[in-house]
Formats: sequence, C-alpha cells, structure tokens
Amino acid sequence: MYTRHAMAQSPRIHIDAASGVPAVRQIVDALRVFLVEGQLVAGDKLPSVRRVAVELGVHFNTVAEAYRQLAAEGWLDLKHGRGAVVVPRVAPDVTDGARNDSLRGRLRGLVAQLRAEGISADSIAEELRAIAKVVTRS
Amino acid sequence: MRLILCIVNVFIGALWYALPNMTRRELLFAVPVPPDFRQSRAGRHAIRMFRRTILAVVVVAACAVLLSPAGLLNATAAAAPFAILLAGGIGFRWQNRRLAPAAVQFTRPREAEMTTAADRLPWFAWFAGGPFVLLAAAAIWLYLHWDGIPARFGVHFGAGGQADRWAERSIKAVYGPLFLGTELCVWILLMALAGWFGSRRSRSRPVMLGGSIAVEYLLGLLFALIAVQAQLGIPVWVIAVSPWAILIPLIIVMTRKMSEPWEPMDPTPNECWKADILYYNPNDAALFVEKREGLGYTFNFANPWSWALLLGLALVVASAPFVMA
Repeated sequence: MYTRHAMAQSPRIHIDAASGVPAVRQIVDALRVFLVEGQLVAGDKLPSVRRVAVELGVHFNTVAEAYRQLAAEGWLDLKHGRGAVVVPRVAPDVTDGARNDSLRGRLRGLVAQLRAEGISADSIAEELRAIAKVVTRS
Repeated sequence: MRLILCIVNVFIGALWYALPNMTRRELLFAVPVPPDFRQSRAGRHAIRMFRRTILAVVVVAACAVLLSPAGLLNATAAAAPFAILLAGGIGFRWQNRRLAPAAVQFTRPREAEMTTAADRLPWFAWFAGGPFVLLAAAAIWLYLHWDGIPARFGVHFGAGGQADRWAERSIKAVYGPLFLGTELCVWILLMALAGWFGSRRSRSRPVMLGGSIAVEYLLGLLFALIAVQAQLGIPVWVIAVSPWAILIPLIIVMTRKMSEPWEPMDPTPNECWKADILYYNPNDAALFVEKREGLGYTFNFANPWSWALLLGLALVVASAPFVMA
C-alpha cells in the first residue's frame, strides 16, 4: 500500500487495482500513514487531483474524494485555488475505555481479515511487534 | 518512378511484416500474453501466418505496380498500398481474435509521487520549434524570390512523376503548402504536449515526445519542399523519398526504445480495450496510454480532450481546400 523512501524523496503512494480494496480507501490509508509517520507535515502541499489521478489511473473524483475524507479527519485544508495543504492536527480526545474497545475491535477485525487471506498468525504477530516498536518510539 | 512506387509498397509491407516485433514482449497482435508466449508453438504459428499473408499481398502489389500498363499506373499506384494496408489490418485482426483466449490481465500496483514539483518538459522539447523555423525560412525565401516563381506551375503529380494539375502564381498557390504544414505542425505539437502532461510518468514518455517532434520535422520538411518545389525544380521523387529519411530512423529508434523491457506494462484493464486497439476507460484520468499494437501511445477515448484533439485534426484537414490552391 505504501513505501518509505529516502528523506530527500517525496513519499509515493501505491494502489493495486487487483486488491479488491476500493481505490479511494487505498489512497486515504496510504496518505494517512504518511501523515501519521510525519513524512507529510503541516505546510506540505499535496499534488493536484488531476496529477495524482493520472498517475494512479483512477477518476479525478476518486482522488478528490480521498482528499475530502482526509480534510474531514482534520489532516488537510482544501481551500479553493490553493490545492490540498497539510495542516496541524490535534488527535480527538477519546476516553480510555472507548478507545481500548475501538482499538481492540479494529485490530481483531484486521487480524481476522489477514488470517482469512492466508497470512500466518506468526507473521502477523511479528509485524504487530515491529509496528509497536515504531509507534512507541514516535 | 515505378521502382520508387514499388519500393514504397515493399516498405509498407516490411512495416507490417515487422509489426509483431515492434511491440513489447508481453503483447502479440494487441493481445496481452505472458512474455515467453511468442516463443511457444501457438505464438510462432500466429506470427508465421500473419507474415505469409503480408508477403503474398506485397508480392502481388509490387508486380502490379511494375507490370501494369501505363494507362492503369495511377490506379494501380493508389490501389497497391491500400491493398497492403487492408491485408495487414485483416491479418492482424484475424490473429488477434485467434489469440484472444490466451490473453492475461497485467496486474501491478501503480504509484504516485506526493510532490508538487513541476512536471518539466525534457531539454530536447525546444527542438519542437525547428519545423516552424524551417517553414518560416521557406516562406521568406519564396517572398524574396517571388519573381522567379513560374507564372504557372504543377501542384499535383501522377504516379509517373508528371504534373497533372496546375496553379497560377498567387499567394494561396505559393504559400498554401506552408500554411497547411504549419497547421499540421501546430496540431502535432499540441498532441505532443497533451501526451506529455496527459499520460503517466514513465520512461516511455520522453520517447513518445521525441517521436512526436520527429514527426513534426517530417511534416515541416515535406511541406517546405513542396512549397519551394516549383521554384527550385525539385524532382517529385525527391519529395516522395525525403520523409522516409526521417521515418525509417524514427521507426528503428522507437522500436528499440519502446520494446526495451525497462518497465512493466501499464496494467490497463483488458475490458477497457475495444477490439484490443481503442482504449475507453471513464475511470482513468489519463488522456494517453501506451498502445497495445505498434509503437507509442493512444487516446483514452473516454477523456473528452481526445475528441477535442481529433476535432482539431479534422479542422486542419478540412481547411486544406481553403488554404491551398
């Protein structure tokens, strides 16, 4: 879904039409990873909807919708004529109980989906541990 | 002249003959196949059948041009290349249908760089101005030598190389070819720019731009020669042969460049290819995509700009009777 490149390079999003996941979701997920990991920071401008749509082979509306979803989450500012600009975002305040329930439910859903795709439990656990290390460092 | 006509026919036939080798390894008669398919029995059989068809028609066409009576030469000269093109088209489509069951769907992720850096044209894009300089130079030369232009000169030539239509010296008759040449070069330039900015970034994209600029030079040279032909007494065969001086190296270079396995094939959906030749995908924002037959790129006909560009060409062609004598 995404790759990390050397710091001098801009991040690149990948979408796979054969994956069965809607293109708009692949774009939103990939961009959100860059935003969370700090590869895209406040003030960064995103390329035009037209350019991204041509490169990814999707309709303009697909990219526009992805940008709109990220704007609704508070990551982007979509002022007319300025394009999409990354803005500082404060994570919404969620109570511990609700957060844990939501987190656990979503992770279990993801693990189940990965298991259904044939990925072994050991591989999933290993990846989760690796991600946990990155998350605790940041 | 018969020999030149014969060579032109053989050359058209040679292009058809070489067509299976002028595409990527993953394509055969516009059908997406595994890269090693063309070495398989079915692949080799399809290529062999196609080439035999072409060879037979080229031999007949060449003999017709060489042996036809003088009275039928004009008709034969017009019919021979048409017959070769038709045979090639039918043969291609025939093999395309035969190989259709072997088609595979290219799948690979597409990527987009999240940068706002300008999508700059390569340095050689400046050469696109050359043909306009050539046409302008021809216009200036004609202006300076106006008195030397014959009062009546040939504007159309038969297969024997003899003029069969004439025009009086006038602004329209003298400068007409230059106007039309300029219109065509402007259209090619627009196509080249639309191709650059309307297609996915790839290593094939500069090749396409370079090829478009070369075609621009071909047209600029051709129409400049036509314009000064009467004044300089340039033989018709020189005008007939000169475009090939650009076309042949262009085909060779583009074939080598485009068939290099430097990038995987663009994974355009098979179902969006009509007859495996016309691409129509409303869900793809690209205006141009890599062709599945021959060299270069083709329109995404679901993009309205493709129709605007074709309308532009139709207007250029329609303007010919108005700008030329």
